[in-house]
Amino acid sequence: MTYPVAAKADDMRSRFNLPLSMSVIRPVVSIGAPLLLWEAAVRLGWIDAFLFPAPSAIAATMWRQTWPDGDLLLHAGRSLYRLLAGMALAIVIGTAVGIAIGMTRWGRAIFKPIISAFMPVPTLAWTPILLLAIGIDDRTTIVVVFIAASFEVIYNIVSGVEMMSRKVFWVARSMGASPSQIFWKVILPGVTPYLITGAKLGTGYAWRALIAAEMLAASSYGLGFMIYDASEYMTMEVIYGGIALIAVLGYFIENVLLGRIEAATVEKWGIQVER
Amino acid sequence: MANVSLAADRYETYAYRIFDGIYRLGAFLLPIGVLVILWEASVRFGIADGTILPAPSTVVARGIGLAFGGEGGGVLFSHIATSLYRALAAFGLAILVAIPLGFALGLSQTLFLWVSPLISILLPLPAVAWTPVMLVAFGQGDATIITVCFLGAVFPVLYSTIQGVRSVSRESIWVVRSMGASRFDIFLRVLLPASLPTLMSGLKLGMAHSWRTLVAAEMLAALSLGLGYMIFAARSYMDVATMFVGIVCLAVIGMLIEHGIFGPIEKRTIRKWHGSSKMGGDA
Repeated sequence: MTYPVAAKADDMRSRFNLPLSMSVIRPVVSIGAPLLLWEAAVRLGWIDAFLFPAPSAIAATMWRQTWPDGDLLLHAGRSLYRLLAGMALAIVIGTAVGIAIGMTRWGRAIFKPIISAFMPVPTLAWTPILLLAIGIDDRTTIVVVFIAASFEVIYNIVSGVEMMSRKVFWVARSMGASPSQIFWKVILPGVTPYLITGAKLGTGYAWRALIAAEMLAASSYGLGFMIYDASEYMTMEVIYGGIALIAVLGYFIENVLLGRIEAATVEKWGIQVER
Repeated sequence: MANVSLAADRYETYAYRIFDGIYRLGAFLLPIGVLVILWEASVRFGIADGTILPAPSTVVARGIGLAFGGEGGGVLFSHIATSLYRALAAFGLAILVAIPLGFALGLSQTLFLWVSPLISILLPLPAVAWTPVMLVAFGQGDATIITVCFLGAVFPVLYSTIQGVRSVSRESIWVVRSMGASRFDIFLRVLLPASLPTLMSGLKLGMAHSWRTLVAAEMLAALSLGLGYMIFAARSYMDVATMFVGIVCLAVIGMLIEHGIFGPIEKRTIRKWHGSSKMGGDA
């Protein structure tokens, strides 16, 4: 239960009345204070500088790795490419399956049991089989991303189709819309907000699965590969820097990028996604 | 007369429910059965490569062999037991840490506002990403695996505990306090029951995360036993049948934990403590 008006007023107050509002100070302190404490503990020799290198050392290493002769950007870029490719697959196939389940009897009868049989399998358990079937290749990690994200996409599309009013179909049909017109002009726009929510949640799962899959199945690039490879050479700075980058990228993709899109569309179309 | 018709009614609904249940089970199993038969047939007729996609019959035979076979028989059970021990140890640790912390953060608005940015940046971080750190710190073995699973389980439990405690209305605490309840009474009789539905779903999620993280952690860091290790080790021998046995075990145990253990607990506590299905439905 939220009160949008009150929340908006609160937001305005915190945004405009104070020059440096608490909503900026709090995250900075919340994340900065532990880092400062860590730095101080290393400098004063309270904790082991090999296992816990100082944040400044980590930042310096990450900076060197970025430019001019590091591979950090290549690692991050390859991870994002795999995420994007897997998500594109999951969205296309997930939407098709979701609509088939939501709209047709046969779709429901065929796919529902199969999905509930496959859903409890931990996504990463497929990795060794994919490694044998496909090989150490981008395709293995892309398929893992696809598996991790598609269930969430399907689930949201199905609930989106079920939320749609039957009257919309009656109206469209009575005005002589063909099935393909109903699909492209009625169903697809109707489920888009649900698709966005599903894609957002799915991306969260996919990002986690991707990092683990890259540790198991990537041969050269990817953030997961980077930190696992670094553990064999015991370069702790690269591991911590990679973890930080994974956290920031994951937060940015899920909450900022897709969160913004979700908020904009849900507000614009005035649709409440109920879960 | 009324009694008879009532009894007949009851009999009818009972019989109907049995038939309905059988029908639903059949409708549920039919597509899976067809898929399995298609799979078996495509291997037998040479459409699919049996070394990469072994026939279901081969998988079942391997499963029985691993469970009851002569040499090294029962090895499947020790894999399962090791995996369960690790997942439960991690889950137990997560409960011990996350529930007290969650109550503290849920009760103190100030603390919550200052700490929540840190939590929200750690939340989307995959627990498996910590594996390299643990590998350097502890080496391969149980310590690494349990720590990684703990990190996977702790955030869902923490998050739902905070949500559950924060959802308790201030007024209900004020009312009880004004009637002279002690802090302990408030905790035991107001906070705990009111936050329980959310807390339970957090525990369920935490155990599921622990179990799912376990597979990856065991593949990366196990020395000898565990289902994840079994699956990953089978890769060196191109033994896909063993991998499928592992996958089926992981899925079945995961389902049993979720529906066999947490389902009834959730239903019972929520029904007992709230007496309405509304609270538990979406909590």
